[in-house]
Amino acid sequence: MNDRPRSEESTPAFPGIASRAAATDAEGRIPAANWDELIDSGYLRLFHPAEAGGSGADADAQFDAMEALARACSGTYWSATVSALLCGSLIATYGSLRDHEQLLRPLLSGERTACFGIVEPTAGSDASTYRTTVRPSGRPGGGYVIRGEKSRITNAPTADLSVTLARRDKGPGDNGPDWCLAFVNLRQPGVQRYETPHMGLRAMPWGGLVLSDAYVPEADVVPVPFQALSDGMTWGWLLVSIAAIATAEAALTASVRHAQARVSFGRALAHMEGVQAQLADSRAQLDAARVLARRALRERASGSPARQLIGMLKVYATELAVEITQRAVQIHGAFGVTQGHEVERHYRDAQMNVIGAFASNRLREQLAEGLGLGPAVYQPFDWLAPTGLRHHPVSLDGGTRAVQAVA
Amino acid sequence: MVLAQPELRTDPEAATGLGAGPLERSRELAGRLAWPTTAERDRDRSWDPALFAELARAEPGPSLAGPLVPASLGGGGSTAAEGLALLEGLAEGSRDPGLALAVAVHAVLATVPLRAHGTPRQRERYLPRMASGEWFGALSLRQTHGGAVAPAVTARPAPAGQGGWLLTGRLDLVAGAPVAHHFLVVAAHQGGGRTTFLVDRATPGLLVTEGGPAAMHTCPWGHLLLDGAHVDDGSVLGTVEGAAAEVEPLLAVLDWVYCSAPWLGVMRALARDALEAARGRELFGRPLTHDQATRFALADLATQVELAEGLLRRTASRLDDGGALPLQDAAAARLFVADAADRVTRAAAGLTGPLAGTGDGLAERAHRDALFLSRTGGGAQVLRPVVAASMLGLG
Repeated sequence: MNDRPRSEESTPAFPGIASRAAATDAEGRIPAANWDELIDSGYLRLFHPAEAGGSGADADAQFDAMEALARACSGTYWSATVSALLCGSLIATYGSLRDHEQLLRPLLSGERTACFGIVEPTAGSDASTYRTTVRPSGRPGGGYVIRGEKSRITNAPTADLSVTLARRDKGPGDNGPDWCLAFVNLRQPGVQRYETPHMGLRAMPWGGLVLSDAYVPEADVVPVPFQALSDGMTWGWLLVSIAAIATAEAALTASVRHAQARVSFGRALAHMEGVQAQLADSRAQLDAARVLARRALRERASGSPARQLIGMLKVYATELAVEITQRAVQIHGAFGVTQGHEVERHYRDAQMNVIGAFASNRLREQLAEGLGLGPAVYQPFDWLAPTGLRHHPVSLDGGTRAVQAVA
Repeated sequence: MVLAQPELRTDPEAATGLGAGPLERSRELAGRLAWPTTAERDRDRSWDPALFAELARAEPGPSLAGPLVPASLGGGGSTAAEGLALLEGLAEGSRDPGLALAVAVHAVLATVPLRAHGTPRQRERYLPRMASGEWFGALSLRQTHGGAVAPAVTARPAPAGQGGWLLTGRLDLVAGAPVAHHFLVVAAHQGGGRTTFLVDRATPGLLVTEGGPAAMHTCPWGHLLLDGAHVDDGSVLGTVEGAAAEVEPLLAVLDWVYCSAPWLGVMRALARDALEAARGRELFGRPLTHDQATRFALADLATQVELAEGLLRRTASRLDDGGALPLQDAAAARLFVADAADRVTRAAAGLTGPLAGTGDGLAERAHRDALFLSRTGGGAQVLRPVVAASMLGLG
């Protein structure tokens, strides 16, 4: 087991992608050369068994490759891993190799990419607001059509396939689940897309899908109970957590390099105790996150949803990466806030991981539920006035004047 | 409110493949033998020799007095990871960081240097009796972070004909001093080199007095006054002037890992208390468990426990791998655990509220004792440079 970060001396696993990272970010597009390198490296096949067209790497090998790619270029990592790992796993888990091998194999060979169409414009992770619906097409050949809008979706502007969470328009006597995953071909009429400018991970395609009765073959609509779906989504939490660890490690490595090279007040920054403290704290915290991440990936790869563990990891690792990149900016001074500087990119990228695939507080709610505290209970905030703590006494001489109750 | 005895958690050891052994056994044992008197011993600052004797001879499983002593010398023959688990369980079951610290100092810090650097004669003389609990080993926690603090004891050769060494100086913060049979003492030579000595309590010129810090009340504390105490050449542990390369880094790693270990158990106990307290309280006419800030605090608290556990266990596993001591890893782990202990203690206390006189007072004691943890092992002022130096290639 190797819980240490890759050393600076080790050969980067994705040298071309790493060398293009700044340009990729600046242009906001993943170049074709990156995909060629991904395909040649076998990265896209790591997460699936041979019978599905993968190479069946073990959890530690998956972790090493994921961290290496995310360190090389986080935007490329997100796009590739959402497609091959997250969408590939959703297809493999909820679909069947017999019916969906033709969807899965192109994702692993790199011929096509997929997105996970889940969030809608109305809300983030509140599925009760989602309106996208699948209903029978009424066409002679059967099948379904899907209608609705998905927004803030990784790969939506470029993907060939959308693994789409949708409601089922259930006919009489249909006692199946209310939800389904629809594997939607995005290269067809009835599909419009748009891009959404974003703060970090700029090379990652991000935006929306407008589905206007797009056709979905019958076999590609898979009814799934919502709870089972949420287990599948832990792959997303995990991949984002590893992105955060990699970004933090990259920022920390840059900080060490800068501290060694930069001379101020007659000595290298490395000799200053304040800088050492920031580096040491970051090292200890990042090591703790990495140990937890490896454990979480092993459990997830062995078939356990590991919801609680991965939820903890996602909250901690993504918020830690923000903290470490902020320290990196401080250690780099003005360089750290200069557009085009590596650390400035890491700082922006880190923020995206906190929000993507369930924001921290949404996950904390789930963790609390996992601790046995029951689901979150919503109640209009109206309990302060009856306590007397919304009344302002007129003065110390007595008398009170009630303020208006909160609307 | 009377706190229930800890409910056994069954999963933590599975994570490291330890099986359901040492942690659960020591937790059950400590819960049964030690916990009923924890609050009383803390209040009275007392050490119960009968309790230690019971913990030392408890069957089945490795003894708490000598888990890391080889079986051939009467010890438990446990791995480093199993030794860590024993201390976690001891602290979780007893809810007593002071008792667990005393056991850690005796069973690990005072023992392992003998196992690693002792002569066959030293090993055969001390280790079986330490493993049985007959002899208690002690040392000053000011001597567990290398020479970061100038040695308070000096060594000079004894006059010709007498042989051996004369030790002079004063050591405080000696964990186990009042009940110890012998002490590990690092002394400086005139030229600056340092040597580790095994100093028996009966050594002429050695005076042991009681007294300790304002924390860890259930650990027996004392001072050593060495006034030209004479020790023979057979008392040297390792090589003369070799402490900096032998015993000192080993003691540092052992302190950083094994004095942190009990806090994994303490944090789990605090997390459980906080959860129960939140379940039992109402505010604004609704359960406190509906309050988002409370829910978030409990989630973060559980996360800190998992993180600390993983990092410390990984470091202990590295000790089992052999090879070079994982000095930087151990320092990073202590840095993290001390910070986690502080966070968990504050968060748990925020939820359990002022429980003085109603429970066993763990939240209050943990406040006091977590601060002790953060200031020993050199504290952040030593740990951070150790970690940073390895990153920066500085020395």
